[in-house]
Amino acid sequence: MRTRFLIVDDSELVRKSLRTVLQANPDWEICGEAPDGETGVQLFKELHPNIVILDFQMPGINGIEAARRMSEFAPAVPIVLFTQHASTDLERHAKEAGIRSVVSKTNAFPMVGMIEALLGPAESGPAVAEQGDSEKSQAE
Amino acid sequence: MREQEKVNILMVDDQPGKLITYEAILGELNENLIKARSGKEALDHLLKTDIAVVLMDVSMPELDGFELADMIRQHPRFQKVAIIFISAVHLTDIDRLNAYQRGAVDYIAVPIVPELLRAKVRVFADLHRKTRQLEMLNRDLRSLSARLLAMQDEERRRIARDLHDGIGPLIAALSMNNGMLAQQTKKLGPEVAEVLQQNNELVEQLSKETRTISHLLHPPLLDEIGLLPAIKMFAEGFAERSSVKVAVELSPDIGRLPPNVEISIFRIVQECLTNVYRHSGSKTAQIKISHTPDKLLSVQVRDEGKGMTGTNGASTTPGSSHGVGLSGMRERLRELGGTLEIQSGKNGTTVSAAVPVNKTMVKSL
Repeated sequence: MRTRFLIVDDSELVRKSLRTVLQANPDWEICGEAPDGETGVQLFKELHPNIVILDFQMPGINGIEAARRMSEFAPAVPIVLFTQHASTDLERHAKEAGIRSVVSKTNAFPMVGMIEALLGPAESGPAVAEQGDSEKSQAE
Repeated sequence: MREQEKVNILMVDDQPGKLITYEAILGELNENLIKARSGKEALDHLLKTDIAVVLMDVSMPELDGFELADMIRQHPRFQKVAIIFISAVHLTDIDRLNAYQRGAVDYIAVPIVPELLRAKVRVFADLHRKTRQLEMLNRDLRSLSARLLAMQDEERRRIARDLHDGIGPLIAALSMNNGMLAQQTKKLGPEVAEVLQQNNELVEQLSKETRTISHLLHPPLLDEIGLLPAIKMFAEGFAERSSVKVAVELSPDIGRLPPNVEISIFRIVQECLTNVYRHSGSKTAQIKISHTPDKLLSVQVRDEGKGMTGTNGASTTPGSSHGVGLSGMRERLRELGGTLEIQSGKNGTTVSAAVPVNKTMVKSL
């Protein structure tokens, strides 16, 4: 079973680059993409991704608010905030909203390693169980 | 107001004949002439109309000219009205002094020389007209400067947004592409790997510079999570760029404020820190934001620098100028109904701003 990613970012260019980077790993796939927070939350509920890569500053609700709504629905799914505005204060707000990790868009190198760490020890396949089923949402 | 706009001249005398004489003399000034037969009637007119010049007889039954002058001067709205006394009696120096002490601008003895009276009244009518014009221009300037500040904020927000939406993704994509390439370094020769490494550093530098410009133009956290995180982030960046040690003390119960209050306070703090860096020579700065018991938001920025010239430890007067920065702060605070106070001496400068904040409005945001 491959790990399914949801990408939420208002820039088509960033989404495209993320696709390229993430799909370089044969065990990873993009299950959905959203250009804003509201659509992201909706897709999150419909698609049950294993992990979310989320932008911060977007039209409509911002990444922190989107993460809060996603975490309420399925708290076990790791969310990575991928932002141009990484700072200690933003990180604090992000953690409160259920975000596991904040990655600076301007220095995206550590991202892949960070995602691997978030997905858990299993080298292949998702460490996080399929989300959405109530009995499985306790995973991790 | 047009140059030719008429002003009101109030003539007060208990004798109708004299009023008619004044009217004949002043007619060619082409202003509005208003007649009053008693002090009481004169007060009625003053309350209802904007009067430029009061021409009045000293001796009148009931309320005499001096008493009327006293009453006029006690009212703050009428303190600038020019009062000219006319008298056939009471012509001693003591009488004249009495009149001037009551704020008269002139004391004319009967018999009147028509040309002289006309010339004197004309001077004060013109002065009043010019004062009114100045006041209107001042109001226009204030509203213009408020609009300019708002437009400047909006423009900065727009440019920051353009940088974020336009250049930000390009840098992110470059960074990710470089990351992909970096995973293939084994396949690349050492020279190519070296160039790739340099590219990484360039991208990082590019991103840092863009980020600084964008954050100085408009703090990204301000709109999204509020004033306090935006100030903390700005203070962190400022300390890093300037080597000024910044202590930040923010009362956590402040929460979200109306957007115009948040941006104005942010700009005031930004301006103060810029001044600390550029002018004070201080190695430290302290930012303190808290609620006061009387429902004001208090913003204080303090340094230990050499102080501002011209203030000498005293609070600066509203008219004193220390460049666009301080007057900009004053304008912003005036718009919010707030105040600005500056204490400066050889041990440093403290800028204190107070802004009225409606707590119920804040909570509902």
